[in-house]
Amino acid sequence: MKRRRVAPIVSALVGVVMAGLLVILITADPPQNADTFSPLLGQPAPAVVSTTLDDDAFDLARRKGSWVVLNFFNSTCVPCINEHDELLAFHAAQQNESEPAEMYTIINDDNDDAVREFFEKNDGEWDKVRDHDGAIAVSFGVARVPETWLIDPNGVVRTRIAGELTTGLLDEQLADLRRQFGS
Amino acid sequence: MNLRRASWLFMLVATVALLVVGVVRESGPLTQQDRIDAIAQRLACPTCSGESIYVSRASAAEALRAEIARQVAAGQRTDDEIIAYVEARFGGQVLLVPRATGLDALVWALPVAVLVAALAALTAAFVRWRRRDASLLSDDDRAIVAQALANNDD
Repeated sequence: MKRRRVAPIVSALVGVVMAGLLVILITADPPQNADTFSPLLGQPAPAVVSTTLDDDAFDLARRKGSWVVLNFFNSTCVPCINEHDELLAFHAAQQNESEPAEMYTIINDDNDDAVREFFEKNDGEWDKVRDHDGAIAVSFGVARVPETWLIDPNGVVRTRIAGELTTGLLDEQLADLRRQFGS
Repeated sequence: MNLRRASWLFMLVATVALLVVGVVRESGPLTQQDRIDAIAQRLACPTCSGESIYVSRASAAEALRAEIARQVAAGQRTDDEIIAYVEARFGGQVLLVPRATGLDALVWALPVAVLVAALAALTAAFVRWRRRDASLLSDDDRAIVAQALANNDD
């Protein structure tokens, strides 16, 4: 008699636990897109204070007032080399804008001479910023290059693109953001 | 029999006492390098599979170790705050030790709950079996056993 009472209670308890876990599974947030998500989106950009390859001081906070594009780069990384033409086209197109976005290469785990040689050979008339010990990469949560980030004129992080840029992607993203948040 | 039980009890008490002392005792002041290593062992390398940044030689892991060293040297954040800083940039997947809050707490609580439930079920089962075994003996059985013991004494 006693056994008959225990079995339904145990079954009911197991059923309730399973149902609870199922509810948690269904209602949990869907996984974020690893190529575009970052906890920094919508947050103020981390402080970036360093020097450029020309030994000028660089402070991201002083760039407020215009859109900023940060491209994390290494001269030996194949996707970085592949997307270079896309960056050149984007930079050239920006020069025709009334308020062009400012573009910076963040040198990731690379030496100055190799980066200089790459840009002398492949063009790219924008500043290249040194990243000592990978401090800038860590502050943005960049683990692999290339990565491209868009920061709005108020210094808020708006977009992260992990991996190689596809044709026109950066122009489209910036145009969308300008419509949403102004230029 | 009593001596045997007492020695088991003594061993149990001694084991629990040593475990408690081992867990709660002060380990003394940590050096900066000890702190850096301890934090690095709690964070996963973001570009490797299943490695902590303490053991990984990947450039992302080296950059993270350098950042931890900078923050430890600055002395402005606790270990947990430094880990929260890294999590806020790389996401929760860099945590090798799950949090004890929110849904992640299930990882800690479920095994304990299952263990307690299993022990309770086993205890209940043993008690029932013992009762049933005792009730299986009839008066005739008891009389036979008593007779056999009496014969044995003679």
